[in-house]
Amino acid sequence: MPRLEKIEYKPISVRELFLEIKNLSELMIDLAYSAALFNDKELAEDVLELENRVDTLTYFLEMEIMIAARDAKDAEALVGVSTVASAADKISDAAADIAAIVTQNIGVHPIVSEVFEKVEERLMRAKASEESILVGKQIGELDLAARMGVDIIAIRRNKDWIIDPKETEEIKFGDILIARGAPSGIKEFKELAEGKRQELKD
Amino acid sequence: MSRQRQKQFEEIVERFVELKDTSELMMDLAYSSLLLNSRELAEEVQRLEEYVDKRHTDFELLVLSSKFKKEEARGFLGLIRLGVVTEKIADAAAEIAEVVLRGIEPHPVLKLAIEEAEETVTYVRVTEGSSLVNKTLREARIPEETGMWVLAIRRRDKCIRPKPDSKIEAGDILIASGYAEGEEDLKKLVSP
Repeated sequence: MPRLEKIEYKPISVRELFLEIKNLSELMIDLAYSAALFNDKELAEDVLELENRVDTLTYFLEMEIMIAARDAKDAEALVGVSTVASAADKISDAAADIAAIVTQNIGVHPIVSEVFEKVEERLMRAKASEESILVGKQIGELDLAARMGVDIIAIRRNKDWIIDPKETEEIKFGDILIARGAPSGIKEFKELAEGKRQELKD
Repeated sequence: MSRQRQKQFEEIVERFVELKDTSELMMDLAYSSLLLNSRELAEEVQRLEEYVDKRHTDFELLVLSSKFKKEEARGFLGLIRLGVVTEKIADAAAEIAEVVLRGIEPHPVLKLAIEEAEETVTYVRVTEGSSLVNKTLREARIPEETGMWVLAIRRRDKCIRPKPDSKIEAGDILIASGYAEGEEDLKKLVSP
C-alpha cells in the first residue's frame, strides 16, 4: 500500500497552484526522458519526488476549486480548470512511469541511448561545488547559451525547485543545476559546476 | 554489432523520437488552444491524437519484431514502456483540448497561468518562391522578422515540433502565434 501524505489545507491561489502544476509536469517529462535514456538514477529519483509534489498540489487545487464555485456558471468554468489540472497531473504520472523504468532496473537498450544522443539534446544534473566558479554568479552574466550552447532549465535548492530561473538568479553552493544542451557543452558545464574547470572560455 | 542491427536501432529511435516530439507538440498546442480559445488548434490536437495512436502501434510492432536475445529483453521492455508514455501524454493533451471544444470560454485562471504573449494563431503555407524554403528555423529568424513564432509545422500527414535546426520546405504549413500585427508580415514572408 502506498503511504499517502496527510494533507492539511492552506489557502493558495488557484492560479499559483495551476501554474506550478503545469510547469512541474513539463519539467518532469524532460527530466524523465533523460533519466531513462542515460540511465541516470538520481534524475529518476528527482522525478518521483516531484510527482508526489504534483499530487499534493493537484489535491489542493481541487479543494480551492470547490471553495471557489458559488453557482452553476462558476462551477462550469471551474470544471475546465479541474480537467486541465488533472491532465497535467496525468502528464506528471507519465513522467513517473518513465522514471520507474530506471528505478526498477528495467533500463532502455544502451544502443538506443547512443543513437538518441546524436539526434537530441540531453539534460544533465550537476551539483555546484564550493570551488566552482559558477557559485555567486548570476545566470545572466555567465552567458552559457552563447559560450557553450547550454541552458540552465531548473535549479533544485534544498527542497525547492526553481523552474526556468531568471537571468538574475544567483547560483549558490550546493545547488543542483539541471542544464540542457549539446553533449560537448553539457560536459564542459558539469566540469565548471563541479569545480574541475576554473575558467570560462569565450 | 552488425550494420543491419545498427540500422534497426536507428529506425526504432527515429520512430520513438517522432512519438515523443508529437506528444510534446500536442501539449504545447493544447495549452495554446486554451490561451487563445482556438477551436482550430484544439481540433489539431485531436487529429494528432489519432495519429499518435496509429504510430504508436507501428512502433510497438517494430520493437517486438526486432529479433532480440533473451538478455536484451529488459532493454526492449524499457522501449515499449517509453512508447506507452508518449501515448499517455498525447491523451492528456487531448483532454486539455476538449475543454476548448466544449465551447465554454476557458476560465481566466488558465490564461493567466500560460505566460505567453499570444494574441492570435495563424496558418500559412510556404510557397516555392519564399525565401524561407530550405532554411532552418534558426536561419529563418521568423520571430525577429515578424513577431510571430512557429508552434508547429504541418507537412503532409505529419506535424513537426519546431526545433532550431528544423528545415522549412515548400508546401509546409506553418502554425504560428503571436501579436496580431505580425500576421501580415508572416504572410509576406511565406508567399511573396
